[in-house]
Amino acid sequence: MIAISGVTKTFQRRGGGTHLAIDAIDLDIAEGEFVSILGPSGCGKSTLLYIVGGFVAPSGGSVSVSGRAVTGPGPDRGPVFQEFALFPWKTVLGNVAYGLREAGLSRRDADAKATALIATVGLKGYETFYPKELSGGMKQRVAIARTLAYGPAILLMDEPFGALDAHTRLRLQNELLQLWERDRKTVLFVTHAVEEAVFLSDRVVVMTRQPGRIKAVVDIDLPRPRRRDELLLNPRYQRLVIDLERMIEDPPEEMRA
Amino acid sequence: MSGALLRAGGTLKPGLPPVFACLGLLLVWQLYARTLSVGGIPDALSTVRELPTILGDRESLYDILDSLRRMAIGFAIALALSVPLGLLMGRSRLFAALVNPLLMVSYPVPKAALMPIIMLWLGVGDASKLLVIVLGVSLPIIYHAYQGARAVEEKMLWSASAMGMSGPARLARIVLPAALPEILVGCRTGIVLALITMITSEMIARQSGAGNILFSALDMAQYETVYAMILVISALGILLDVAFEYVRGALVGWSEPRHDLAPIPA
Repeated sequence: MIAISGVTKTFQRRGGGTHLAIDAIDLDIAEGEFVSILGPSGCGKSTLLYIVGGFVAPSGGSVSVSGRAVTGPGPDRGPVFQEFALFPWKTVLGNVAYGLREAGLSRRDADAKATALIATVGLKGYETFYPKELSGGMKQRVAIARTLAYGPAILLMDEPFGALDAHTRLRLQNELLQLWERDRKTVLFVTHAVEEAVFLSDRVVVMTRQPGRIKAVVDIDLPRPRRRDELLLNPRYQRLVIDLERMIEDPPEEMRA
Repeated sequence: MSGALLRAGGTLKPGLPPVFACLGLLLVWQLYARTLSVGGIPDALSTVRELPTILGDRESLYDILDSLRRMAIGFAIALALSVPLGLLMGRSRLFAALVNPLLMVSYPVPKAALMPIIMLWLGVGDASKLLVIVLGVSLPIIYHAYQGARAVEEKMLWSASAMGMSGPARLARIVLPAALPEILVGCRTGIVLALITMITSEMIARQSGAGNILFSALDMAQYETVYAMILVISALGILLDVAFEYVRGALVGWSEPRHDLAPIPA
């Protein structure tokens, strides 16, 4: 479904010269697959996601989605950002209905569909609230609902739970997994949290940094539907977490940082 | 008494400190004028007594309303030009690089000082005065629209473009509302500048308006009228500002952090 071939990104540095952020990334993601990109901060994993989203142009290589080359953003790829990026002048309902109105739905239809989605993400009763009145976890639920609303085939999630406290983070991981079990969208999920990646994914792509390259692709052969309390006791889960943690441990890099 | 002035918690009601400040100023003025009795400075009481004469006079009232009309039109024109300009600058580095030097050069030029030249081009009528008001009001609004547009979160724009929104649509429907709190900060400065340029333009091109009443009275040494007009104009400024703050609260109550300019701790 997503074909990334030879993607490279260099940034112009302020004082002149260039910085190679990601280098020669090849990755194919099948329809309905949940793939995480795992790596230390600064490894270019978010940049790769932005390139797939069409928000950032690659310096080399190409990305295609369902056989069509990506040249810019589109409603087939819905982003969810760590920063939530909600429209603060819109209510919860206005945010979730926004993409539907853009897609040409009437106000009534858009509002009805948005109201149902708001209930799905557990925010029934908050329709008239403004983003500033919500907690971080609630904001991210709104952001997820806003993206799901316009029905993208692919979800691009950029450390979506990175700004949340540990408890909220676990709850939202569970809820995301439940949502995903229902409609099995293709998900590209960027994170630096090993357990999160193992818990959610079919495959985990481990990246190195400076430059960002793919170090390993690990299949997460754990049964679904997954429950966190069962997984924590599962030796296979423990093994995967330990292996991945060792893989992203990079002593010389850490010492330099 | 205390129920009327204090709110729960024992602090003064928020509207009261400015009222006390006004009364205090009038009192100081009264005492000062009485003790010194310098020629040309009427005391506060006789100035306030002069107010009904001005506000009751059809011609003066018409002049003041005429000033307000020009101010409103000038402000509206400035708003319509400055907001799109500032937003474009904020979203296009190239455009900002082209326009910024012009703004930097024109920023410190006193706009009212251009009035004599403008009068040569456009005469002493409405056109000159409107142009001066537009020039005076534009810069702060352009600047704040520019800053507001620059600060718009990139990912908010990305979210909109993922929904299929085009560039120009994003400028109008994402950048504009996102920058609105900042634009309104510029507008608040703009309103005060509109009042200043309005009065100055009428001082230079004396034909009608509040400024005309003021400076004609000054020529004829009618100091009560001069001071009363200053009171009227100041009151106008304060009323406009208070009204604007209400509008601003209604328009951008959603924003965080709130751009609370009013530096009056209750």
